[in-house]
Amino acid sequence: MKKITIDPITRLEGHGKITIFLNDDGSVANVYFQVPELRGFEKFCEGRPAEDMPQITQRICGVCPEAHHMAATKALDDLFHVEPTSTARKLRELLYSAFYVTDHTTHFYILASPDFVMGPDAPPAERNILGVIAKVGLELGGAVINTRKQNHWIIQTVGGRPINPCFGLPGGVSRAITEEERKQIEEIAKQSVEFGKLSLKLFDDVVLKNKAYLDMILSETFTQRSYNMGLVDEKNRVNFYDGKVRVVGPDGKEFCKYAPREYLDHIAEHVEPWTYLKFPYLKKIGWKGFIDGKDSGVYRATPLSRLNAADGMATPLAQAEYEKMYSTLGGKPVNYTLATHWARLIELLYAAERLLELSRDPEITSPNIRNIPTAKPDEGVGIVEAPRGTLTHHYITDERGVIKKCNLIVGTTNNYAPLFMSIKKAAEDFIKPGVKITEGLLNRIEMAWRPYDPCASCATHALPGQLPLEVTIYDAQGNELKRLSRGIS
Amino acid sequence: MVRERHSGALHYTECNEAPEMKTLVLGVGNPILCDDAAGIKAARGVSKQLNNPKVSVAETSAAGLSLLESIVGYDRVIIIDTIQTRGGRAGQVYRMEPEDFSSAKHFSSPHQINLFTALELGKMLNLAMPKKVTIFAIEAKDITSFSERCTPEVERAIPEVVRTVLEELELKARKNKNKPT
Repeated sequence: MKKITIDPITRLEGHGKITIFLNDDGSVANVYFQVPELRGFEKFCEGRPAEDMPQITQRICGVCPEAHHMAATKALDDLFHVEPTSTARKLRELLYSAFYVTDHTTHFYILASPDFVMGPDAPPAERNILGVIAKVGLELGGAVINTRKQNHWIIQTVGGRPINPCFGLPGGVSRAITEEERKQIEEIAKQSVEFGKLSLKLFDDVVLKNKAYLDMILSETFTQRSYNMGLVDEKNRVNFYDGKVRVVGPDGKEFCKYAPREYLDHIAEHVEPWTYLKFPYLKKIGWKGFIDGKDSGVYRATPLSRLNAADGMATPLAQAEYEKMYSTLGGKPVNYTLATHWARLIELLYAAERLLELSRDPEITSPNIRNIPTAKPDEGVGIVEAPRGTLTHHYITDERGVIKKCNLIVGTTNNYAPLFMSIKKAAEDFIKPGVKITEGLLNRIEMAWRPYDPCASCATHALPGQLPLEVTIYDAQGNELKRLSRGIS
Repeated sequence: MVRERHSGALHYTECNEAPEMKTLVLGVGNPILCDDAAGIKAARGVSKQLNNPKVSVAETSAAGLSLLESIVGYDRVIIIDTIQTRGGRAGQVYRMEPEDFSSAKHFSSPHQINLFTALELGKMLNLAMPKKVTIFAIEAKDITSFSERCTPEVERAIPEVVRTVLEELELKARKNKNKPT
């Protein structure tokens, strides 16, 4: 065995690639965006019992396995024609709320906050979570770690296993919770609500009170007028776990609202020759290219889109924050991509409040956690809101429940077209004739990427445990002008 | 006696019921993504052959901050994972320290944080961080195809990693034994 002292990051392959081609005058001619491809998932699933899908599909993504577990479990309800009991439904939503608290906390503090707390032009050595904690204080760092830890405890307790739950069954869940556990969950939920409030206050202090940041949020560079998608309850309020998918236009008007089974009537996928990625679009409008506006079928499914697609939040504190965001940013819908960070924090507060509500629900400790399916399985669709977008699982089985076909539209996939457009727009606005291409410039382009937090290749855990990003710029003759990277050199 | 339990942030196999579990062998990876499963398979191999009540073996598919939460409270952690290097030979095994990743520390990651940053964060927050972290990385050939099997080259390397980790643990145990009291 060889002992080496290397920086493996310098050698990592299969990273995210943004390739920018310039015109003779130094302006942007075209932009391409690629991420590594994961192959053969449908084939992998064929021939397996459908009941395995909540366990298998959660391995697709190392970041949001809980979302896949939940979409798969709901698809099984539909497949086996069985309704979960009221308690089972609430336990699922409770776990899912805890998951949202962990995920949104991670995203904001690790990914989003360095740009604002440290500044978009701060040296990369400081523009990270370590810099944020050094500046904001150890107490906040401890709160981030503690919030994640406690909510992971909820996921483990309710879901039977941490991170990769194993409790979802067609018609219910595998385990009830005790009164003792309920009390502890309630306590964690209370603390999580406080943490959500604290996070929004931090956003207010650091971002909204800084005119330069507010101007950046409102700038045309980071604006995109696309359709917005999100799951809503019967009152059109944001719901992560259940409901109908609602799509509103860039003008804020409802375009359509569909039940999970109808998704193929509304969503189609466009293929481009330069990437394996498929670009979903609204079928009834059609694919008109990478353009925004009402006549283009491009839509976004992000925290901001969910708020845009809904009429409000189902919990009081989140609703107040929702109203504040829209009054600050000029009404609905908000088409400013960077406001996604704000929307994510409002969702964090909503998730914590919903967790608290569910922990106090009199039914939550009921032992009535499952309806046993009796019908023959055939076809099922399950939809949840994953943190990174609407997640659809669709299975077709034989009458024994063995998978014949499976189709997934994962959260990030919804956003490939708008993500690509956001990157392109940022590149075009920042790379101008005569402008020196610097690290700060790369970060500005990345800031268009970050709100979406694309997780296309996170199923891979190979060292160093992050998805590097590389931007390569070519001149009009095809010569490499500059290569700038995150996590690679 | 080996028994299974689900606990902490991880899927554990404990050896005996010793009150103190100060060393953790952690297999990291995705069990259904071909060679990405190598770390987990190696950890399972270690678990089967291990007979030391002070060592816990666990596996996880988590990264970044979750990885940090997994290792808090242990004195010593051995991580088994996969790696891809340009021109690397599939199945090659590397022994590394977290410092080998240090140049990555200053990069903001497009997704979560890397191991070194996670360890730095733990120290900064005064968490009970391990005094020593060793990483065994297996050069992977295919980490983008869904499969429960590793490629033959990587599959062949797993017993070597298991043996090496066991030797490392044995060495440590012997050193401790010989320490003057």
